Amino acid sequence: MKPDINIALLNAAQEIINRFSPLIDDEYEKSRLGSWGALILISAMKFNDASSSLQKENIEIIDWLLVNSRLNDKDIESYRPSNTEKGIDQLDQENQALRALLDKEVEYFEERGDNNLLESVFCLFRSMHHRRKISDLIGLLQQPES
Amino acid sequence: MSEELSSLFLNYYSNFTNKEFSLVNLERIFGGASRETYRIKVKDNSDNEEKLILRLSQDSSLIETEQRTEYLAYSAFQDSKVPVPILIDMSEDNTQLGASFMLMRELEGEAASPFTPNIYSPYEEDLGNQFWSILGEIAKKEIDSEIFKIFSKDFKQPCWKNELDKWVKVIHEDSIGVEPILESGIRYLYRNPPNENKRISMVHGDYRSGNFLYLKEKVTGVLDWEMAHLGDPLEDLGWALSPIWSWQDKERPAYLIKRDEAIRVWKTSSEIDLDEKDLEWWELFAAVKGMAIWISAGNEFKSGKNIDPINLFSAWIPGDIHLEVILDILESNI
Repeated sequence: MKPDINIALLNAAQEIINRFSPLIDDEYEKSRLGSWGALILISAMKFNDASSSLQKENIEIIDWLLVNSRLNDKDIESYRPSNTEKGIDQLDQENQALRALLDKEVEYFEERGDNNLLESVFCLFRSMHHRRKISDLIGLLQQPES
Repeated sequence: MSEELSSLFLNYYSNFTNKEFSLVNLERIFGGASRETYRIKVKDNSDNEEKLILRLSQDSSLIETEQRTEYLAYSAFQDSKVPVPILIDMSEDNTQLGASFMLMRELEGEAASPFTPNIYSPYEEDLGNQFWSILGEIAKKEIDSEIFKIFSKDFKQPCWKNELDKWVKVIHEDSIGVEPILESGIRYLYRNPPNENKRISMVHGDYRSGNFLYLKEKVTGVLDWEMAHLGDPLEDLGWALSPIWSWQDKERPAYLIKRDEAIRVWKTSSEIDLDEKDLEWWELFAAVKGMAIWISAGNEFKSGKNIDPINLFSAWIPGDIHLEVILDILESNI
């Protein structure tokens, strides 16, 4: 079995931070390289989940729209998970389309002042944000980004 | 670039001062995406050293701002209760140093990362009192009429709409994806405007932890005025209080003193009565404005116009945090 891509990225980040960055005298270049190291480290940590996170988010948006919005099955049929494997690019395209549909529906409920539905959409927003966010890894950037 | 800049700078500075100088050191300071900032040390024939700061415009910067804006803002606060560097020169001519620039004396002190908790320990209280009090002084300052006139050309009322329109335009021009939380936040701001403040102040535009210098317990300078404009003083307060600048200790904005105490100090210094609801509007606005800046950074990075890692960092981390701040405020207002 070969080492995974995220392991390669993790090791590259460690080399950059611990081995190459200290060799540089120029403070600006040193900080810049250190930042790259930290950002690659974050990329490595998020790499594995990138595809499944998008897929989960798309399903979650579809479920919410079907239960709560004016849209019906036909409107969002094409974004439903299928048996064919989808790459990140395609999942991302679908995600953008679904987000645009969601935004329109939310605007409609805001205009109507429907607080129950807004509470429910904020739960969805929270879940979407929680899955995507990387700000919990802020500690990794504190040194290089100073 | 540094060698070429060194030679251009020496030539320019010797002509400007009519004195011969040699270069002791020129180094770029990391951080900040709107200007390239250099710390420069030169000495004359009698070995007298001068410590200078050079701010060069970048070909590609997050928010396009003129050197003149920053220069005039610094000018407005020379010899005031707001500590700012002494200005030496400003040029919008690209021929001298390859880009427009501003030159000033270096102040003593260091700037902290706004993302590091307890960075000001053990001087949080002294620094906090000064930080919030200086912001009040900025709000209170009578601006020189000539400077006021120049800034007035971009000024429209109501202030809130002027600023909100400006940043929403940036968001919609630079977005590389649909962000429903942000769009919901923008709509909320338009639907629930704040009262228009009677006082029009000079607004720093980026007054926060990390944009001031300190030496132990003393604030020695307020920096980075490139987004200065006329407007509502609550704009600066909302930005400085934003939880993003104290994400790991939200009770102490800017990792300084407690929020209530910070607001009390600001109110005393600015002599402004605060409407809590208006402040909440400006805090939500701060998160939306922040998103505009982080989205713009992400766009620069993705398009390859400027692949400085600070642009990727901005899109990833602060972008996440401000989105969460928007969600928190919206949820609390249902």
